[in-house]
Amino acid sequence: MSQLFTLSFFTAFLAAAVRLAVPLIYAGLGETIAEKAGVINIGMEGVMLDGAFFSFAGAWYSGSLAVGLLCGIAGGVLMSVLHGVICIVLAQDQTVSGLAINMFALGLTSFLFKLMSQGQSYQQVETFETYAIPGLSKIPLIGAAFFEKDILCYLLYILLILFTIFYKRTDLGLSHIAVGEAPHAAESAGIPVHLFQWTALLVNGVLGGIGGAYLVLVQLGVFTENMISGRGYIALAAVILGRHMPLGMFAAALLFGLANALQIRLQTIGVSVSPYLLAILPYAMTLLAMLGAAGRSSRPESLGKPYVRGSR
Amino acid sequence: MMRTAETMQRVKDIILIAALTLLIAAVLVLACGASPAEAMQLFIQGIFRNRQSVAEIFVKACPLILTGVGCAVAFQAGFFNIGAEGQFYLGALVGTAVSLSLPLQGPVNILLALVCGFLAGGLLALIAALLKSTFNISEIIVTIMLNYIVINFLGYAVRTFLKDPEGNVPQSAKIDPASQLLPIITSTRFHAGILIAIIAALIMWFLMSRTTIGYELKAVGFNQRAAQVGGISVAKNIIRCAFLSGGLAGIAGVIEVIAIQKKLLEGISASCGYTAVLIALIAGNHPLGALIAALIYATVQVGTGSMQRQLGVPNAIVNILIGAVVLLILGRKLLHLETYGFLKRKKEAK
Repeated sequence: MSQLFTLSFFTAFLAAAVRLAVPLIYAGLGETIAEKAGVINIGMEGVMLDGAFFSFAGAWYSGSLAVGLLCGIAGGVLMSVLHGVICIVLAQDQTVSGLAINMFALGLTSFLFKLMSQGQSYQQVETFETYAIPGLSKIPLIGAAFFEKDILCYLLYILLILFTIFYKRTDLGLSHIAVGEAPHAAESAGIPVHLFQWTALLVNGVLGGIGGAYLVLVQLGVFTENMISGRGYIALAAVILGRHMPLGMFAAALLFGLANALQIRLQTIGVSVSPYLLAILPYAMTLLAMLGAAGRSSRPESLGKPYVRGSR
Repeated sequence: MMRTAETMQRVKDIILIAALTLLIAAVLVLACGASPAEAMQLFIQGIFRNRQSVAEIFVKACPLILTGVGCAVAFQAGFFNIGAEGQFYLGALVGTAVSLSLPLQGPVNILLALVCGFLAGGLLALIAALLKSTFNISEIIVTIMLNYIVINFLGYAVRTFLKDPEGNVPQSAKIDPASQLLPIITSTRFHAGILIAIIAALIMWFLMSRTTIGYELKAVGFNQRAAQVGGISVAKNIIRCAFLSGGLAGIAGVIEVIAIQKKLLEGISASCGYTAVLIALIAGNHPLGALIAALIYATVQVGTGSMQRQLGVPNAIVNILIGAVVLLILGRKLLHLETYGFLKRKKEAK
C-alpha cells in the first residue's frame, strides 16, 4: 500500500483523472449551453458516439487529424440538428427525441463501422500531440496534469472561461438564460427564442462532437462499437451537479474523472478486488453525487418544455 | 366526423412511415453493395423457411415483449425507466442463484426463480422511483447508472460466486433440466416462457385500461399536478409503475436463463432492455401495441439475420431502422403538407 501515497503516484493519478474527464467536460459544456436555453438533449450519448465515429472515419480516410476533427464535429451537429427539428420546429417531447437519437446513432455508427471494416483490421489513427506549457507544466502535482496536454484540452480551458464570462457578464448570455427560464417573457422583450435555442443546440452538437472525437483522436486512436458507454449520460449528471454553470460542471466532471482514474490505478497496482467491482466505482459515484446534490435544483424553469410562439 | 378525419390521418401516417422505413432499408442494403430485391427475397425466406424459423420469431420476441410492456407501463405514468437492461440482468442473476441453490427441482423451482427475478428487477427500479419521488432526481440518469453497475456486478458474479465450479469460462453451472422451461412445440425452441410474456402483456393491458390502478397511473402521467390535486398520490403511482416495470424486465431475464441459455452468462440480453424503450415508444405506450411492436421487431430481426448470413448486410441495420421509425413518428408532422404554410398560401393564391 505504500506505493499509493507517493508524489509521483498522485501526479500520475491526477493526470489520468484530467485525461478521462476532458470528453465529459466537452459534452457537459455543450449540454450546459443547450439546457440554459431550455432544451435538454438526452441524446448527448448519441451526439458523442457520432462525433467519435465520424472523427475516426475522417482521420482514417484523409490521414489528417484536422479533417477528422471537422468530421467529428459535423457528426455531432447532425444529431443535434435532428433533435432541433423535432424539439424546436415540431415542439415534440425532448426526452423521447433524445432517447431515439441515442438508439439511432448506435445503429448508424455500428452499421457504418462494419461496412468500413469489412475484411480489414484497423490500425490506430495518429493522435494529437501534447505540448507542455513552459513554466506552468513544472508546477508540482498539478502541472503535468493540466498543462502538459493536447491543443483540444487547452481550447477547452479557454471555452470554459469564455462561457463563464458569457453567462455572468454579457447581455447576450443573460438573454440566453432568460430563454431557458421564461421564454414567453423573453419573446415579449424582443429576444428571438427559437433562434437562440437553435444556436445553443448547434453549439451543443459541436462540443458534444468534439467530446466524442477526443476519445478517438487524442486518447485511443481507434473506434469501437458503442465506445461512449454511458459517458453522455454521466455528462448529463455532471451538468446537474455543476448547477448548470460551466465551472461547476467542470468540477463535477473532474470528480468523475478522479473516480475513474482511481479504479484504473487500483487495477494496475493489483489490488485484490475484482476489476468488475472496481469498474462500478464511477457509476456508483455518479449516483451518490446526484443524491448529495438533491434538493438544490438549479434547473432552468422551462427546461424540456417546448416553446410554441403565441401559445400560453 | 373529426374522429374519422383523425383516423384517416393516422392510417396515412402509418403507411407513409412504413414506406419511408422500407426506403431507408433499401438504401442501407445498397450501401452494402447488395441488391435490395435479393435482400428482400432472403428476408422473407429467412422468416418462412420452416417451423423453426417461425418459432424463432417468438423466441426473440419473448424478452422484448416483457421489457417493452414494462417500459410502456412506466412511460404511461411519466416515469422514464431506461433501466430495463439492468433489471433484466439482475432478474437473470437472482433467478439463476435461486434456481441453482434450491435443493428442490421442478415446477416449484421454476416458480420461485420467476418470482424472485420479478422482485429483484422490481426492487432495482424501485431505487430510481424512490429517488425520483422523494428527491426529484432524474430517473433516466439513475436507471442508466444502475444498468452499468448491474452489468459489471454480473461480470463479477459469473467469475466468482456463481461460476460453474467445473468449468473455466465465466458462466454459471447449468440449470437442472427439471427446472428449465422446456419447448412446448416439438423440434422448435418455442418455450412456455413465451406464453408467460403474452399473458403478462394481456394482464398489463387489462390493468391499464380497465382498472382504477391503471386510471391513476395514466392520470399521473398525463398531468402530475392535476392528479395530485384530484387526490391521486403521485409518489405512490410512480413507485407502483416502476416496480411493475422492473419486475417484468426481471422475469424476462429469468426466462432467458431457464428457457434459452440454460445458464447465466454475460451479454445474454442482446441489449433488449434498450430496444424495449423504443418498442414502447413506437407502441404509443400501449401494452398490446408493445406486444405487436415486439413481434414485428423480432420478425425483422429473424429476416435480417438471414440477410446477414447470405449477403453480409450487418444486422445493426435493425437498430438504425427502429431508431428511424421513432424519429419518423416524432417528425410525422413534416410528412403533412399543411405543415408547410408557404405551400398552402401559394395554393390559396391560385
